Formats: sequence, structure tokens, C-alpha cells
Amino acid sequence: MTRRTNLWSVARALLLWVAALTVTLPLLWVALASFKSPAQLNDPGLVLFAPNLDNWARVLEAGVLDAAGRSAMVATITVAISVVAGSMGAYAISAYKTGGSATRFGILAAQVLPPAVLVFPFLTMAYALRLDTTYIPVIFAHLSFVLPVITWFLIGFFDAVPRSLEEQARVDGFSRFAAFRMVVLPQVLPGIGAAAIFGFTLSWNDMFYGLILAPTQETILPVAIAAFNTFRGVELGAMSAAIIIAVVPVVIASFFIQRRLVQGISGGAVKF
Amino acid sequence: MTSTMSFRWAMLAPVLTITGVAVGFPLGYALYLSLTDYRLTSRGAPNFIGLENYLFVLTDPRMWNAFSNTLAYVIVAVALQTVLGLTIALALQKQKWIRDLTRAMLLAPMFITPIAVGLTFRFLLNDQLGAIPAALRSIGISIDFFGPGNALMTLALIDVWQWTPFMVLLLLAGLESIPRQPIEAAKVDGASAWYTFRRVVLPLLTPVLTVAVLLRSLDALKVFEYVYATTRGGPGIETETIQYFTYQTGIQFFRLGEASAVAFVLLAIVMTLIVILFRRLQRSAPR
Repeated sequence: MTRRTNLWSVARALLLWVAALTVTLPLLWVALASFKSPAQLNDPGLVLFAPNLDNWARVLEAGVLDAAGRSAMVATITVAISVVAGSMGAYAISAYKTGGSATRFGILAAQVLPPAVLVFPFLTMAYALRLDTTYIPVIFAHLSFVLPVITWFLIGFFDAVPRSLEEQARVDGFSRFAAFRMVVLPQVLPGIGAAAIFGFTLSWNDMFYGLILAPTQETILPVAIAAFNTFRGVELGAMSAAIIIAVVPVVIASFFIQRRLVQGISGGAVKF
Repeated sequence: MTSTMSFRWAMLAPVLTITGVAVGFPLGYALYLSLTDYRLTSRGAPNFIGLENYLFVLTDPRMWNAFSNTLAYVIVAVALQTVLGLTIALALQKQKWIRDLTRAMLLAPMFITPIAVGLTFRFLLNDQLGAIPAALRSIGISIDFFGPGNALMTLALIDVWQWTPFMVLLLLAGLESIPRQPIEAAKVDGASAWYTFRRVVLPLLTPVLTVAVLLRSLDALKVFEYVYATTRGGPGIETETIQYFTYQTGIQFFRLGEASAVAFVLLAIVMTLIVILFRRLQRSAPR
């Protein structure tokens, strides 16, 4: 019995080590490549070399930071709208069972739609309303998938708040909305924080809508990264640097929310 | 009572309004587009042509090629993710040492923008410049990852790299919400670890597993970025997926009516998939 237990714990440790290396090595390799000269890039095994910052300089010149700023702006507006509307909606669904299970799951129906269905109407409307040089079409497109996810995610957190808390507040003379805002909402603040960060990464990572709807000259980050995809050896280093710029913020963010993500998902999302 | 009614609908109103504008309206408009000969380049009002786009699309071998590519891609990717995800989730559940760090690290890929992941692997797997083919050559193996016959499976493996963490996340959440008593009881009865897993843990995990497979399949059906970053549909049309095919028809060839028809065919397929999976779920869910 103990021998088998030991064997399993060794296998388990081995598995986790292999998984960790599979995740980190590709990213480390790209990070390394971003400091290589074009000649050094031809030697994929090269690990020790004099790093240079040419690639980073070229990426900054190409305006990748501006694209990152635009991505951050689009994501922030999308998340701000989603968190306000989503927390109100999630509360209505959780506390009052508004619309029954139809709304609870209808919210997620939007998740089923292929982006290819929605993108062409957004495009023709953007032209018709002369919004094609603004970020409004992209924000609306991002709302179509960020808002349902945030609402769904928050339902689980509101479910965990005891109703007696709100009833007590009503007895104390709070209006319904005040009870929600002053008493219930603070209870789910950690959940809202995690939902906001998660929604931010969803918007930040989208390329499909950005590629078609964002203004071509001043595009958002994933599209800007793809623009280095000319695959001449010269651009590889710059592309690596651009990839690192896109990856680092979300990986740091993910570090802070992973525990709450597990909680949010086991609370509301996977229960029936 | 009426004030409760109006309050709860007022609270829901913003979500419903935004969803109506951002989802409902485009959905209806796309349905209309799919019944017209609309082209991005043409001026004037589009003509209503009924189901012509659908007939054209449903008899187009390239559409069916894209469809079967996508299906093969989804099946391979999601099957591998399920097996790997479950194994890793089980390993992580027991792990105590540097627990949060390990979890954060293993979950990281799902937060990265897919285009960056696609480009990273295009680079890593490149025949001349890539580290992986170079390493394989040194032990005498030579694979052209993006060559004929391999490219689609390479894309599926990229999907596995990025999205196994999502499976791990959901299954870990599922494992942590399983009640302890049945497992303890099985142990007391002298059941082996494997038997406990097969007969106790797995049945309790089935609802979560079904949701995870469903969410992942739906997402994998939308694969676009990896194709755009690596093969652009090639070699030939071997890696043309539905989403990429729609993008090409609509954006590169400006045929929005036809592209919308393809999108609705995909939607019909997706809905069928969901109905089948939900039926299964309802049958297996302990109530």
C-alpha cells in the first residue's frame, strides 16, 4: 500500500514538473529571442549571448505601446460597463430569480454565437453610422461576450450572500437599491474584482473583432502583434518583444485572481 | 409586491438592453444579410435573394472541407485536453508544497492572447529557426510540423497547450466541491484508489466534466487566431477552419451575404451539439 502511494506521489510530482516546463519553456524561449540579433536568431539552441535591445527599440518605434494603450482603453470601458450592468443583473437573477432559469442560462446563450455571425452587422453599421474611425464598434463587439461572462460569474458570488443581510437593511430603512449598493455589493467586492480582471483579459486578448472593426491605422494590441508576422528573419526578434509586451500584464493579473476564479466557478458557473 | 417586480426588472434592464443592442440586433441583421446578395464593395441597397446563399454554401466543397477540418480539430484538441486536464487537476488537488505558485503557473497559458500563442509556436516549430525541430533533429527525428498532413494536428496541439489550463481550472473547481463522505466511505470499505476514482469521484464529477467539454468545444469551434498566425489555411486548404473561411469570404472577398450564411450554418451545428450534450447531462446529473 505505502509503496503504491509513494509511486503515485512520485508520478504526480513528475507530471507537475513536466507540465510546468511545458508551460514556461516556450515563453522563456520567446523572451530570450527578443534580446537576440538577427544572426543569433538563426541558432535556436543559443542560450548564452550578449543581449541587445534593438528589437525592443524597434517595437517601441512601431507604436506597440500605443496599441497596448488603446487595447487597455477598450478593455477598461468594456469592463466598466459590464461590471455595473452585470452586478445589477446578477443580483436580480440571484436574489429575485428574475425570469427564472431562462435568464440564468439565456445570459450564456450569447456565448454560443460564433463571432463571425455578429461581426458583419457590426461592420456595416459602423460604416453606416460613420463610426468606423472610432473604437465604439469594437467596444460593443467586446460587450457581446464580456458582459454575459461577467454576469454569469457574479451570480455565484451573489448566491453566497445571505438574504437576511438585505432584509435587515430594509428593516433599517434602506431602499431596495440602497440595500443592494450599501450592504450586498460590498460583500461581493472580491468577486467583482476577479470578474473585472477576467473580463479585462478577455477583451485584451481578442483579435478577431479588433482585426475587422478597429481603425486600421490605429489598431489594438493583438492586431499590432500580428502585423510583425511577415516572417522575414528580421522581424522575428521584434515580434518576440511584442509578444512579451502582450503576455506579461495578463500573466501577472492571472496570478492574483486564480484562487477567486476557482471559487467563482465552483460557486455559480458549474452548478445546476 | 409590484414594487418588487419593477425593482427586479429595473435591475436587469441594463444587461437586457446592452445584450439586445450588442447581440440581438446584430443577430437579426446577420440573418437578413444572409438572405441578400450584399457585398461590401457594392453601392445601393442589397437584393433579397432568399435561400440562394444557403444553397450555394451547402453545396460548396470548400465549406465542407472547412467544416470537417474544424470538427477533426475540435475532437482531437478537446479529447486530449480532457484527459490531460483531469490528470493534472487530480495531481494539483493533492499537492501542498508551493500550491498557489504552481497553480498560477499552470493556469497562465489561458490568459495569453491566442495570436501571441500562435505566433510563438509558429516560431518555435519553424523548420529552420525553431528550437523544437532543432532539438528533434539532434536525436534523429525530422518532422515538418506545418507540412501536409501534419499542420492541422499541430494547430490542435497548440490549442492543447493554451486551453488544457481551462480544463484544469474547471475540473479543479469541480473536484473541490465534491463532498468528502462518499470518498471516505469507499476508503473505509477497502476500495482501491483506482476503484474509488472510477466509481465514486468520476460519476460525481460528470456534470462539471460535461460543462467543461461543452464550453471548450464551443470555444475551439471558433478557432481563428492560430490559423491566422501560422498557416493561413495552408498547405492548400488543409487547415481552413470555419471561422477562417468565413473571415476570408466576408473580408477578403467582400461577400457578406455568403459569409453570414456560413456563420448561420455553423450556429445551427453548434445548437445541435449543445442540445445533445445537455440531454446527456440531464440524464447523468444526480438530482
